[in-house]
Amino acid sequence: MPLWKLSFAFVAFVCYLAASCEAQKTKDMLLSEKVQQLVDWTSRRSVIRLNGDKFRRYIKSPPRNYSVVVMFTALEPQRQCVVCRHASEEMQILANSWRYSGSFSSRLFFAMVDFDEGPDVFQQLNMNSAPTFMHFPPKGKPRRADTFDLQRNGIMAEQLAKWITDRTEVVLRVFRPPNYSGAVALMLLMTLVGGLLFLRRNNLDFLYNKTGWGIALLCIVFAMTSGQMWNHIRGPPYAHKNPQTGQVAYIHGSSQAQFVAETHIVILLNAAITLGMILLHDAASGMGDASKRKILCLVGLGLVVFFFSFLLSIFRSKYSGYPYRPDLWSAWNIIVTFTQ
Amino acid sequence: MARLGMLRLSHEKQDTLLKLLILSMAAVLSFSTRLFSVLRFESVIHEFDPYFNYRTTRFLTEEGFYKFHNWFDDRAWYPLGRIIGGTIYPGLMVTSALFYHILHFLHVTIEIRNVCVFLAPLFSSFTTILTYHLTKELKDAGAGLVAAVMVAIVPGYISRSVAGSYDNEGIAIFCMLLTYYTWIQAVRTGSLYWSAFCSLAYFYMVSSWGGYVFLINLIPLHVLALMATGRFSHRVYVAYSTLYCLGTVLSMQVAFVGFQPVQSSEHMAALGVFALCQAFAAYSWLRSSLTPALAELLLRSFMWLLLIAGSIAVAILALSGKISPWTGRFYSLLDPSYAKNNIPIIASVSEHQPTTWSSYYFDLQFLVFMFPVGLHYCFSNLSDSRIFIILYGVTSMYFSAVMVRLMLVLAPVMCVLSGVGVSHVLTSYMSNLELGRALSRTRSRRHPDHSYPGKQEVSSAVVLFLSFFLMTYTFHSTWVTSEAYSSPSIVLSARSPDGSRIIFDDFREAYYWLRHNTPQDAKVMSWWDYGYQITAMANRTILVDNNTWNNTHISRVGQAMSSPEEKAYEIMRELDVGYVLVIFGGLTGYSSDDINKFLWMVRIGGSTETGSHIHENDYYTPTGEFRVDRDGSPTLLNCLMYKMCYYRFGQVYTEAKRPPGYDRVRNAEIGNKDFELDVLDEAYTTEHWLVRIYKVWRCKMMPIMYTLGCGDYVIDLMVV
Repeated sequence: MPLWKLSFAFVAFVCYLAASCEAQKTKDMLLSEKVQQLVDWTSRRSVIRLNGDKFRRYIKSPPRNYSVVVMFTALEPQRQCVVCRHASEEMQILANSWRYSGSFSSRLFFAMVDFDEGPDVFQQLNMNSAPTFMHFPPKGKPRRADTFDLQRNGIMAEQLAKWITDRTEVVLRVFRPPNYSGAVALMLLMTLVGGLLFLRRNNLDFLYNKTGWGIALLCIVFAMTSGQMWNHIRGPPYAHKNPQTGQVAYIHGSSQAQFVAETHIVILLNAAITLGMILLHDAASGMGDASKRKILCLVGLGLVVFFFSFLLSIFRSKYSGYPYRPDLWSAWNIIVTFTQ
Repeated sequence: MARLGMLRLSHEKQDTLLKLLILSMAAVLSFSTRLFSVLRFESVIHEFDPYFNYRTTRFLTEEGFYKFHNWFDDRAWYPLGRIIGGTIYPGLMVTSALFYHILHFLHVTIEIRNVCVFLAPLFSSFTTILTYHLTKELKDAGAGLVAAVMVAIVPGYISRSVAGSYDNEGIAIFCMLLTYYTWIQAVRTGSLYWSAFCSLAYFYMVSSWGGYVFLINLIPLHVLALMATGRFSHRVYVAYSTLYCLGTVLSMQVAFVGFQPVQSSEHMAALGVFALCQAFAAYSWLRSSLTPALAELLLRSFMWLLLIAGSIAVAILALSGKISPWTGRFYSLLDPSYAKNNIPIIASVSEHQPTTWSSYYFDLQFLVFMFPVGLHYCFSNLSDSRIFIILYGVTSMYFSAVMVRLMLVLAPVMCVLSGVGVSHVLTSYMSNLELGRALSRTRSRRHPDHSYPGKQEVSSAVVLFLSFFLMTYTFHSTWVTSEAYSSPSIVLSARSPDGSRIIFDDFREAYYWLRHNTPQDAKVMSWWDYGYQITAMANRTILVDNNTWNNTHISRVGQAMSSPEEKAYEIMRELDVGYVLVIFGGLTGYSSDDINKFLWMVRIGGSTETGSHIHENDYYTPTGEFRVDRDGSPTLLNCLMYKMCYYRFGQVYTEAKRPPGYDRVRNAEIGNKDFELDVLDEAYTTEHWLVRIYKVWRCKMMPIMYTLGCGDYVIDLMVV
């Protein structure tokens, strides 16, 4: 009787061992199969496209020894997600840098889920905004820090790489393919100019036109003194509309910044004052009709006085505490203090 | 007038006397308007970089040129050190040392600090005189005088040359204008004398400022423009060939420049134009002895040869990696927004910002619209020198728009061209006035048809109005100088409620405390901003300074500042730090203190491998804010920097009706009040708490370890 019991127990134990061994084996096989499949896909395209089933099988379900960085996005044109396209480009750069780097291994994969291919995934993860970057660690569930903070870090590939290094300890170096569009544009411009010169090669006198050059240089000067370069580099809004009152401000209140509209006003004012001065200048040195010159002179003076006071008042509104006012009273004050 | 008549001076003599008088008054004015800060505070060096220059100058006068040239500085960048002789432009230091020795030879025993403080105003006086001569070459003496008076008080130039602002730019503008003046003279005369003089001026410029690259591109551009307009002559040939050969050889004598003039791409334009000059001259010589057909053939074959050889050379160089024509550097020249998009560190430095229209008006006032008038005048009467000034004006205009700091280069040419414009308008109407008077007196003139009814009135209105403009310019410039550009930033001042001035002299207090109360070889750790000041004033060894050449070292300091005490202690022991110095503005409301700079420390600290434990996000609240109050992130509230700034601050009442420990910069009650420091001792805190100095213990506070190698701390304890 005990022997029978014992043998039964033994058999049961052996059976159990065999079964668990089998299970381990299938698990191992499953894992290696999954890794193999992922490597395969990665070699075809560096960011693997997943639908709902694949997502659950390869990323959600447990036997894993690899990290996956997943971008949840909506790239279909009808979704009109501009940010998604930028994010996708950055992700592509990052994934390519990883795939072609010397340290590529099966520790880390890049994948993406498009909303239109797996809306169930979005529902499952309670996700209602795209793009979102999530890291799925080899063990356990993703934690809060496993979601990339887009608001704070932006979508540059370098930032993503930093975050991934943070989460997975895989060191990524972003390699950006050089951008040749600038060079191409420059070439085009040069060929255009060269072609124009070639077409008009029999009559190059226009190159020696003093007035043309003078006007071009004056334009450059006005563009620079009115801060167009600042606009170009900083990209400020055209004007500011107050959401509460609906009033539109064309002049920025601080001296550190400006609106595009403001620079356009200033360019006009500067040009008008300069024109006034040049009129004065020409009226004095010219040899034309006397009464015409008198009118020119008066017009010039008027232009200068009017637009200068206008410019000064704009300037005063930007620099609080600027002591000189653009009206006649302060002009009188200045003259009085000067004569005293 | 009567007295002049009594002196029996001829008209020419009166003219010269008047010019001399005006010019010397302008020179005196340009010196004295820069003295606001000396009068308000005292004769003190300003800001950060000038302290380094001051220290090196002191070394030069004490130790001599050869020791200066071979100087290895072990007081900075401990334990790395820095080779000073080969990494600076020595022109500034040599100039002041020269002044110092000359004055001492004449038994004027002036202190070297005062030489340094007053050097920039002195050189701006020289600039004023030079501007007169330069503008005189362009138009006439009258325009020169107007330009000189304008440059004497133009705020764009004053911003970098007030008394105490002892920096390269202070003398570099003078050198630049000297080079331009001699260049214009050389082109005008074609004499070797002026060309050699120009090379010397160029050498002086190279030895004093990195901005010389602008010159060595502008002058070839001028030569090129002269060629294109058909004005190239043997005079230009002599001038440029001499300048290029002599100037390049001379500039290579400056150790910091070295072989750059023949290697780097910035200097290649000059070389190219030099070659072009030779080819042009050779061709015109050959053409004089050949038939036209043969000359044509020669030209064509030469052109093709040049094109092929050039493209092969470029291809070889590009393939071998010597030059890289399509890199970011190249684009950043063409498209200035490139730097902002791709190199964030450039975007973060305030001196590299582009310029708004209001800062043009702030720095130049009515020159902004008189400049185009001068440009118009130069265009309607072109000459070699006017082409030069047009090129200078437009290129510097572009650069000043890209970078606000380069306003300095634009300011002189603004004055020159505006001077031309103003003087032209003014003289024509003034002569109208006189003509009118003469007419009314004599009633017989040769050109009566040029006058019109009311001419007198119109002319006087224009003259009055221009004088009004010039007056407002004077008032504006003085106001800007006094309000914006005359604070030394080492001594702070504020207005008290009753309107009187309060002076905060905490920085110097702290530095002198370090000088007198710490061992000679003590190492002081602080953020890099204060490095130059500590070495210059406290004469102690520092870890990092404003010459930010080694990022990993700065990063190590950033890590120490942003780690919790335990970790920070390890780093500080590793770096052998004796004292730590922090700037704290919470009591006075000084906003550029270390807590406000702290995120940069975290970022830079976390940017290297050893700083992998530092994550910027840990220093924010969950909502992404940077707060020092109770809601602030615990990592921030327990890091070394926070503890050093707010140690004992929790017991201090700063504002009425506020709880103790109220930070007046961040406008918050601090979150971590009652804590003790485990590895540091508060060594000194200045009067207004602006600077706080801590002593790092030789070993951690563990009673058992008192006897184990903690020499000076044991003594400290016994004294207590």
